[in-house]
Amino acid sequence: MDSILKVEGLSFKYSNSKEYAIRDISFEAKQGEILCVVGANGSGKSTICNALVGLIPHYIDGEREGTVKIFNENTAGLKMGELVTKIGLVFQNPFNQLSYTTSTVEQELAYGLGNIGVPRDEMVLRIQKIAKRMRIDKFLHKNPLELSGGQVQRVALGSSIVMDPDIIVLDECTSQLDPMGSEEIFDIIKDLNQDGKTIILVDHDMEKVARIADRVMVLHEGELAAIDTTKNIFGNLAMENYAIAVPDFTQIGLSLQDNHLYNGEPIMNEQEAIAAAKKVLYS
Amino acid sequence: MKKEKTGFIGGIKAEFSTMALVLIPICAGINLVGGSIAAALKLPLFFDLIGTVLAAALAGPWVAAMVGLLTNVFLALVSNPIYLPYALVGIIVGLVTGYMIKAGFFKNVWKMIITSLVATAISVVVASSITVFVFGGATGATGSSIITAGLVATMGSIWQGVLTSALINNLIDRGIAFIIAYMVLKKIPKSFVSKYQQPSLE
Amino acid sequence: MAKKSGTFYEPLDSPIERLDPITKFVAIFALGLSSVVFPSVFIGYVILLGLFFVAYKAKILKKFAKFIIGFAIPIMVMLFFIQGFYNPDNVTIIADLGFAQLGLEGILKMLNIVGSLLVFLGSFYITTKTTDTGRMVASFQRVGITGKAGYLILATLNVIPQMQKKVSVIQEAQNSRGLETSGSLKTRLKAIVPLIGPLIMGSLIDVQERGMTLEVRGFGMKGIKQTNFVQAEEAPVDKKIKRLFLIYFLLIIVASIIIRFNLI
Repeated sequence: MDSILKVEGLSFKYSNSKEYAIRDISFEAKQGEILCVVGANGSGKSTICNALVGLIPHYIDGEREGTVKIFNENTAGLKMGELVTKIGLVFQNPFNQLSYTTSTVEQELAYGLGNIGVPRDEMVLRIQKIAKRMRIDKFLHKNPLELSGGQVQRVALGSSIVMDPDIIVLDECTSQLDPMGSEEIFDIIKDLNQDGKTIILVDHDMEKVARIADRVMVLHEGELAAIDTTKNIFGNLAMENYAIAVPDFTQIGLSLQDNHLYNGEPIMNEQEAIAAAKKVLYS
Repeated sequence: MKKEKTGFIGGIKAEFSTMALVLIPICAGINLVGGSIAAALKLPLFFDLIGTVLAAALAGPWVAAMVGLLTNVFLALVSNPIYLPYALVGIIVGLVTGYMIKAGFFKNVWKMIITSLVATAISVVVASSITVFVFGGATGATGSSIITAGLVATMGSIWQGVLTSALINNLIDRGIAFIIAYMVLKKIPKSFVSKYQQPSLE
Repeated sequence: MAKKSGTFYEPLDSPIERLDPITKFVAIFALGLSSVVFPSVFIGYVILLGLFFVAYKAKILKKFAKFIIGFAIPIMVMLFFIQGFYNPDNVTIIADLGFAQLGLEGILKMLNIVGSLLVFLGSFYITTKTTDTGRMVASFQRVGITGKAGYLILATLNVIPQMQKKVSVIQEAQNSRGLETSGSLKTRLKAIVPLIGPLIMGSLIDVQERGMTLEVRGFGMKGIKQTNFVQAEEAPVDKKIKRLFLIYFLLIIVASIIIRFNLI
């Protein structure tokens, strides 16, 4: 797979802070993969997200070093308006991701398109397509402020996808939602990934990360601690050093391993857990 | 980030960053919910200035002027069109407060009180002018119109009556609004304040 | 003061609603200014009759009548008193109450002021009740206001009702927790900051995040003609009405000059 995103030596210090929030981060994301970013609070996850989408340095002041390249193009030379069609962002609070300029979901989805001058006919086509995908086609004519948090978050995701970016950055986008709403967002993320979108996902729910990620990147105090396949990260890394909980299924597998009952691959989800359990029981 | 000095107009434009633009409607909202909170505490006050003062301190005079304007535009659209002419009061109070804060008149309690008195005096004069020139002396829409009429009768002059009524209405209300804004601003972490344009709260 | 949400407009599908918002603003200024410049106390009231007809066409006659009466009667009573007795220009005394004299000049001034105000506020009222703000801003943008100005108008109308809702939730919570709303003036004043402080802090976090949202939606895009999902085209009838108002206004100006300077 080709590299779509290449980060080299990225460091950032907020203008009101004495210490760097992230230091010398380098990694690549492959086209069409789901790369999860994990780490304790304050490890620099959000800072990386904001730097990837260009909010650093365009919106947030500070000292930035290093480069972010999308399709080999250095994003430092691009304006926000040009970046939004390459890389999108969805973050935590659903209600802070509305433009507050529209009275229907349909208009809300069109807002970003209007800013970059997409003709109305094309807006309509894109919105129809996205609304189905985001499962918001039933309330296109409702006022976004009257929707539930989960619904608004789907509108936010839709507002980002409608710009047709190649990469979508999701910064703890389900942490304020109830389990149902969160599950629905994860389903949509999988769909989008199957459509070929590259996903950069920050999340603290390791069960979900283990289930969805192709690769995992671990941050610790602003530095890149490790980046590897999900199995290698959860199976082999001493996660407690980074204040990260190992997924329960993986934990069971590791315990079995410690007791010499299991010596297969690290376990990432319930299917693998069942398979491993069968193996242990019948051996 | 380094800011270039590009003269008066350039300075005004620089005030209106994306964050400042988002701040404006929210400060207009703070102006209006201050009144709801006062009502919940059964205080006969409006505090319809807290958001303007915050905007002046955080983002500058022209952003504050915009807050004053839009607060009244909102009231005119949703509640009653008679609020529209009084938008001028909001604009001027925003500008005066903003420029005084810029000149350092918010650094301690006494300077803040001076700013609040100046802003109140100017708002009394502007509001009275609107009441006299646009509405002929009273809007008839609020309880204070009756006070105004009473004062006009006792003082025998339209101008004196309207000015006195506006002074009574504004002095305590605006003063307390300033004190609240000052107290809240002192509690906001510095890192937050510095995200806007101006370093005016040293 | 307005506590309810921004539901000042409800679609009623009337011919007035279908007009281009710019046309309505042209009408406000043409009618309002004409009532100010034309040297007669009656012009305002004649236009007001017309506005009643427009309100009927707009299917808001009842609301409009309520607004006009609610505004006109108190201000007329107040100004009858203030201007009638205390206008410094009063010369022609039509009644003497001993402690004060009722002057004709003051009464005419009152009628003049109220007439013009009724035209301005009445036509503004009809416009706001028949115009979707999204469409209003879209047509403003058509004639040249910037995306930033459009943002400010729309965001104000959407943000404030949401904040008012939030405050009423906080209030209910505080009341059920037994907030001191009955204590002395001092204790109640002291309660303000704990109530409003968190609200302001929360709002400032909102500001930062909503700014981020605008940025990642391409808000700062320059050098490109922005497009709008909300359609705001000018119909042929709008052009005609605008032209009529322009002609009307010019005629009023000419007539006013002739009358004021006794040119005929």
